Amino acid sequence: MSAYIIRRLLAFVPTLFIAVTLIFVLTRMVPGNPANALIGVRGVTAEKHDELVRQLGYDKPIPLQYIDWLKKISHGDFGTSVFFKKPVIDIIVDRFAVTLSLAGMSMIVTLVIAIPLGVFSAKKPGSILDSVVMVFSTLGVSVPIFWLGFVLMILFAVNLGWFPASGYRPISFGFYSWLERLVLPVFTLGVSQVALLVRHTRSSMLEVLDREYITTARAKGLSETKVIYKHAFRNALINIITIIGLTFALSLGGAVLVENVFAIPGIGNLVTTAAIRRDYPIIEGGIAFVTLVALVVNLLVDISYTIINPRVNYE
Amino acid sequence: MFKIIINNRLLIFGISLLFIVFFAAIFAPFLTTYDPIEISIENSLLAVSWEHPFGTDEMGRDVLTRVLFGARISLWVGAVATFYSGIFGVLFGLLSGYYQTFDSIFSRLVDGLMVFPGLIMAILLMAALGPSTNNVIIAMVILYTPRIVRVVRSSVIVIKNEDYIDSARVLGANDLRILFIHILPNAFAPLIVQVAFGFAWAILVESGMSFLGLGMPAPTPSWGNIISDGRNFIYNAPWIMIFPGLALSLAVMGLNFIGDGLRDYLDPHLQNTVRRE
Repeated sequence: MSAYIIRRLLAFVPTLFIAVTLIFVLTRMVPGNPANALIGVRGVTAEKHDELVRQLGYDKPIPLQYIDWLKKISHGDFGTSVFFKKPVIDIIVDRFAVTLSLAGMSMIVTLVIAIPLGVFSAKKPGSILDSVVMVFSTLGVSVPIFWLGFVLMILFAVNLGWFPASGYRPISFGFYSWLERLVLPVFTLGVSQVALLVRHTRSSMLEVLDREYITTARAKGLSETKVIYKHAFRNALINIITIIGLTFALSLGGAVLVENVFAIPGIGNLVTTAAIRRDYPIIEGGIAFVTLVALVVNLLVDISYTIINPRVNYE
Repeated sequence: MFKIIINNRLLIFGISLLFIVFFAAIFAPFLTTYDPIEISIENSLLAVSWEHPFGTDEMGRDVLTRVLFGARISLWVGAVATFYSGIFGVLFGLLSGYYQTFDSIFSRLVDGLMVFPGLIMAILLMAALGPSTNNVIIAMVILYTPRIVRVVRSSVIVIKNEDYIDSARVLGANDLRILFIHILPNAFAPLIVQVAFGFAWAILVESGMSFLGLGMPAPTPSWGNIISDGRNFIYNAPWIMIFPGLALSLAVMGLNFIGDGLRDYLDPHLQNTVRRE
C-alpha cells in the first residue's frame, strides 16, 4: 500500500511537468511575444514595450525562457502582473481563497444531495423517483451553467428579492453576509455536479447490487438496509470517490463561469479578465495554480482508494 | 423487451429534439422575416409579442431570428469541432492502442492535456490564439481529441489480443488493414457514444467561451453570444437571454439523450443490471 502511494507520488511529478510545459508552449504560441499584444493597450508605447520585453524576459531565446520559468515557478514565483504591478502569486492566493469557498461549499451541497439520491434511485431502478432523478440529471448536464446562473438571478434576486443579485463578501465581514451572497452561485455550480454525481452513484450502486455477495447477504437474511448500506454502498464508494474527484476538478472550470455571472472575484474571474487584457504572467500563473490544485485532488483521490479498499492490488 | 423500448424512447426523444433544432437551423431564413444582424434602434428592447415572439434586443433585432440563425452557427461549430476531434481521436487512438512505443510517449501528452479542467484550458488556448471562429474550433479539437483517443485506445488494447486479429495476421494482413478493417469496426460502439456526448459538450463549451468574451467575435449570433448580449438587460429585458439558453439546452439535451440511449443499448453490462429487475 505504501509502495503504491510512493509510486503515485512519483508519477505526479512528470504529469505536473508536462502540464506546466504545455502552458508555457501555448502562451509562447502568440505570434511575436506576449508583450507585442500589449502595444496600444493601456498606454504601452513602443519604448515601454521594449522595457516590458526585457523585464518579462521575452528577449531571451525560448529554451532559456523556459528554463528560467521552470526555475522561478518551482519557487512559487510566477512573475509580476503587467496590470496589477503586484507579484502574481499574491494575487492568486487571495483570489483562490474566494474560489475555494465557492467550489468547496458547492461540493458539500453536492455530496449531501447527490449521494442519497443516487442510492435511493438505485434501490428501485425504473421507479418514479428513479425516472425523475435520471431526467433531472440529463437536464442538469445539458443546461449551460452561466445561463442557469442568470435565470436563478432573475428569479430569486431580481423578482423575489431573496438574495443579493451578485457580489462577494469575505467571511470576515460576517458569516451571514458571506453566506447570503454565496447561495445562488453555489446552487448554480452545484446543479451540474449533482447531475453528474447522482448518475454515477446510481450506476455504481446498480453494478454492486448485481454481485453475488449481495445475493448471499440477502440470502442469509440481512435486512435490506444493512445490505444496501453495509455491503453495497461501501463497495460502490470506490467508484463514487473517483467521480467526486473528477467533479471537483470540473467545478474549478465551472467556477470560472459562475464567478463571471455573479461578479465574484475568484481565480476564474481573474484569469478570464487577464486573458482579455492579455496579462500573460497572470494567465500562466493562474492556470498553473488551478491545474496544480486539480492534480493534487486527483492524487488525494487515488490515495484514498488504498484507505477505503485495502484489498485492491495496485501492481 | 421492456428495456429496449425504454432505450428506444430515450433515443427517439433525443433524435426528435435534435431534429427540431436542425430543422430550425436549416430553414432559418424561411422561418422569419427579420434580419439577424441589421440594427433597427426604434425597435430596441421590445417585450415578447406576436410580432416578436422572443422580444427584441438592445439593437432592435428580433431575438427569435437571432436564435434561429444562432442554431446554424452553434451547431456548425459544434459539428466541425466534433468531426475533427473524431478524426484525430480515432487516428491517434488506433496508433496509441496498437503500438506500444508510440503509446508510451503519446499517452503522457494526453494525460497532460486531460489534467486541465476543460474551460481553463479553453481560456489559455483562446488567449494564445485570439478570438475567432476558427480558433474556437481549434481550441475545442485540442480539448476533445484526448477524450476520444482514450476511448479508442482502450478498445484497441482489448481487441488487438483477440484471436481473430491473430488469424488476420496469420493470413497476411498488414498493420493498416488490421487497424482499419478489423479493429476499428469493433471499436465503433463506444466511439459513437463518445462522439454524441462530444457534440453536446462542444455546443456547451462554445457558448461558455463566447459568454466569457473569448469565443466567437461580436456580431455573430451564436447562442453564447446572444446570451452574453442579454446579460446587461436581465432587469428590463430578460427575454434576450432566456430564449437562446432554452434553445441551447434543448439541443444539448437531445444529444445527451442520444448518447445515453446509445450507451444503454450498446453496453452489455448495463443491460444485465437492468434486466435483473
